[in-house]
Amino acid sequence: MPYIPNTDDDRRAMLEAIGAESIDELFEMVPREFRLDRLLDLPAALGELELQDHIRQLADRNTAASAATCFLGGGSYDHFIPSIVDFVAARSEFYTSYTPYQAEASQGTLTALFEYQTMITRLTGMDVSNASLYDGAGAAAEAVLMAIGATGRSKRVVTAASVHPEYRQVLATYLANLDTQMHIVGTPGGALAPEELDAAVDEQTACVLVQHPNFFGCLEEVEALAAAAHAKGALLIVAFDPLSLGVLKRPGDYGADIAVAEGQALGCPLSYGGPYLGILACREKFVRRMPGRLAGQTVDRRGRRCWVLTLQTREQHIRREKATSNICTNQGLMALRATVYLAAMGPHGLRSAAELCLKKARYAADRWTAGGLLEAAFPAPTFKEFVLRAPRGSVDELLDAAAGERIMAGSPLECWYPELADCVLVAVTEKRTKAEIDRMAELIRSVLG
Amino acid sequence: MRNEQAADLLFAQSRPGCRAVRMPECDVPAEAVESLLPRSALADRPPDLPELTEPDVVRHFVNLSTQNMSVDGNFYPLGSCTMKYNPKRNEALASLEGLAGLHPYQRSETIQGMLALLHSLQEMLGEIAGLDAVSLQPAAGAHGEMTALFVAAAFLRDTGQNRDVVLIPDGAHGTNPASAAMAGFRTLEVKSTAAGLVDLGDLAAKLDERTAVFMITNPNTLGLFDRQIGEIAEMVHASGGLVYLDGANMNAILGIARPGDFGADMMHFNPHKTFSGPHGGGGPGAGPIAVAGKLAPYLPAPLVAKRGDHYTLDFDRPKSIGRVRSFFGNTGVLVRTYCYLRTHGPEGLRRVAENAVLNANYLLSRVKDCLPVPHGDRCMHEFVASAQKLKAERGVTAMDVAKRLLDYGFHAPTVYFPLIVREALMIEPTETEGKATLDSFAEALQRIVAEDAGLLHDAPHTTAVCRPDEVRAARQSILKWTAPSM
Ligand SMILES: Cc1ncc(COP(=O)(O)O)c(C=O)c1O
Repeated sequence: MPYIPNTDDDRRAMLEAIGAESIDELFEMVPREFRLDRLLDLPAALGELELQDHIRQLADRNTAASAATCFLGGGSYDHFIPSIVDFVAARSEFYTSYTPYQAEASQGTLTALFEYQTMITRLTGMDVSNASLYDGAGAAAEAVLMAIGATGRSKRVVTAASVHPEYRQVLATYLANLDTQMHIVGTPGGALAPEELDAAVDEQTACVLVQHPNFFGCLEEVEALAAAAHAKGALLIVAFDPLSLGVLKRPGDYGADIAVAEGQALGCPLSYGGPYLGILACREKFVRRMPGRLAGQTVDRRGRRCWVLTLQTREQHIRREKATSNICTNQGLMALRATVYLAAMGPHGLRSAAELCLKKARYAADRWTAGGLLEAAFPAPTFKEFVLRAPRGSVDELLDAAAGERIMAGSPLECWYPELADCVLVAVTEKRTKAEIDRMAELIRSVLG
Repeated sequence: MRNEQAADLLFAQSRPGCRAVRMPECDVPAEAVESLLPRSALADRPPDLPELTEPDVVRHFVNLSTQNMSVDGNFYPLGSCTMKYNPKRNEALASLEGLAGLHPYQRSETIQGMLALLHSLQEMLGEIAGLDAVSLQPAAGAHGEMTALFVAAAFLRDTGQNRDVVLIPDGAHGTNPASAAMAGFRTLEVKSTAAGLVDLGDLAAKLDERTAVFMITNPNTLGLFDRQIGEIAEMVHASGGLVYLDGANMNAILGIARPGDFGADMMHFNPHKTFSGPHGGGGPGAGPIAVAGKLAPYLPAPLVAKRGDHYTLDFDRPKSIGRVRSFFGNTGVLVRTYCYLRTHGPEGLRRVAENAVLNANYLLSRVKDCLPVPHGDRCMHEFVASAQKLKAERGVTAMDVAKRLLDYGFHAPTVYFPLIVREALMIEPTETEGKATLDSFAEALQRIVAEDAGLLHDAPHTTAVCRPDEVRAARQSILKWTAPSM
């Protein structure tokens, strides 16, 4: 076996030391009636050469986004990743270690997590960040549970149709066994109207969860939304796009109490949806309600600055059923990737990437709607994504034709929004070129013109 | 050898004007940002991040990395965590562009290879579990626990049963009660016997018409297989409850016994333990769950389905609990799991369990004379030693022993867990270590227990830091860097 160092001689010597006749004897605790009397029905073992062939064949049956032109978004994006992100994340000292329980043996990971937390607080303008959750949707659900605890209001939470449908689905699953009603405010205009939010929030409402830029790519009127939530004593939870903070105001600057995000854009490969990075940051006063790990600074016996996992009395291994969350294994390596990414991009790199997304997306939206064949579905200003409306019944035809040209042109919205059956969500990142955008414009003309 | 300057925090190394990346010029005609978006939405300055060059960043992280112990560098017998070798072929194959470069919203005809892989993984995990249906969506073990409990709650609701209590043995991992609470259940603790098994009398007393689920870890956290499992499952089922198996310890029984065969109705796997997924310094993992047929309709959507020769995502699951995660799941981890299973095949997986159990028993036989193992001379894949006697006689704690092991180049075992053993040191060697390593670890322990108590209280002596002040960390709560005031 490839990963078992012991030889038959070793095994004999070990059995002798144990005082056992056979390996089988070591399993005597497992009642005979439950022992499998056959081999598992699994495919036969492959050597490395055969495995490489097999996996390459499977991979060849897929079309990578990089082998096409990718305008897909919806929370996962084809952004640029500097080479050093992979380089650092491939260091075995990082990726083959465990959660840093033994601080002396894990200062590398702990320091990186402390840097991650610092970068996220600076990026968001929030006071505290944890060391990662599973993904953006899970972070949003955990934030809502935090808000319920912090406000003592367990009856009602409010969110909007412009929040990622999968975030709302995850939240609904998390709330299904609790007594909390989830109220969804409609967004027929593509963004949440502050007066409608105002009408939906009452004195029983724990929090308002909004996304900015929202699922349709539109900016929300976040300051007015914060005011509407706060007027009734509800907390404002904002799901943000980390890359947008290269140009947009920070959640902490417009009144968010908890900020959450899908951190994939910060150096994580598309990887068919995961592993990604759940970001959660909040105001200081909620720190003891946070889910997940926190790295904190301290000193050792000789007064040397160092880091440990801290405020662990929030966590499951100490507090069990009273813990703030059940999370244990989180997304540590993805937090490391984000830290390296942000260190490499720096203030100016992140700003340039965000500007490129914004400008190229705007160019694409203008170019593709210019002939009147497609129209922008919503009037609100957008960042890197936008929704296009096609003539009735032509969405499939357009996406099929694009697929034929190896263009992943966008996501049809019908499965989440029946009323948007003729609409497509499009994302344009800094990696897309003018030539690619123009080629899509040609295609639109030839298919719909 | 420590490069203090490079290891200093990145923020302290920032120098205005430094750049590690240069983004391309904008190739489309565009107006200025200020005319594209409302001014009220815009930041008034670039993000407050450090300015660094590429060599700065690389040297920093390489220096940090040298302050970690890791499976690739050290024996890492962290009980319950199954720190086995992480095969490099899995890393290389999982990062093939045709797998790592797929967007989650691509059309199914462009991801047939990926869906075929995931479909096959669902089937293989079902076979290993001895259960009917599998969801790959949960992102870690605890997430799998919670998801399965959501499934149980939906099943109970749908079948008109008003059961709201989850029973959990006192030796269980903290995620079990925490997951039950998140799924809206009340929890009750079931005692263990002196022999470390479920106390059947206590279980019987606590089982009633409110019991929704009994969560059991088997092999349990003492490294013992609870031989009463058949009776336990019968008792739980007779009272109308479901049996949940925490699969964190599956490494001991791969191909030897299947949870579905010994009475489990649902379980989670920890591929980052059992199937060699790297732990990443705290994730990512994955937490696939397997369930019996009657629970299958409630699994999260989507599952991967095969229709003729074509693979699709099946969202048409009217009784499903819904989603617990966006997109498909921690797919990159699942690809590694698939590679691991295909590398081993049925005989290989059985060998994994046999050698994991052999290694643990051998190490137990070598350790028990210097550190008592309260729950017997035999174990499955791990065992729990106790420093209680050492503490009583010489004031040396489990923590002292753990810290001193670092000086000998070994990562520490899990300490103070499970909670039912005083001064616990939970030791799991895994099958990917050889006899020579186990011998030198045992010899180090033998030497350590004879060392001067003062030396042990002050250990570790060879690491860059020693015994961080955790009380101070919690009290001061410094959770981010702030610039020193001038
Ligand atoms: C027995 C047991 N159950 C559950 C878990 C939780 O698994 P995860 O960390 O993947 O969430 C662990 C992990 O430490 C464990 O040891």
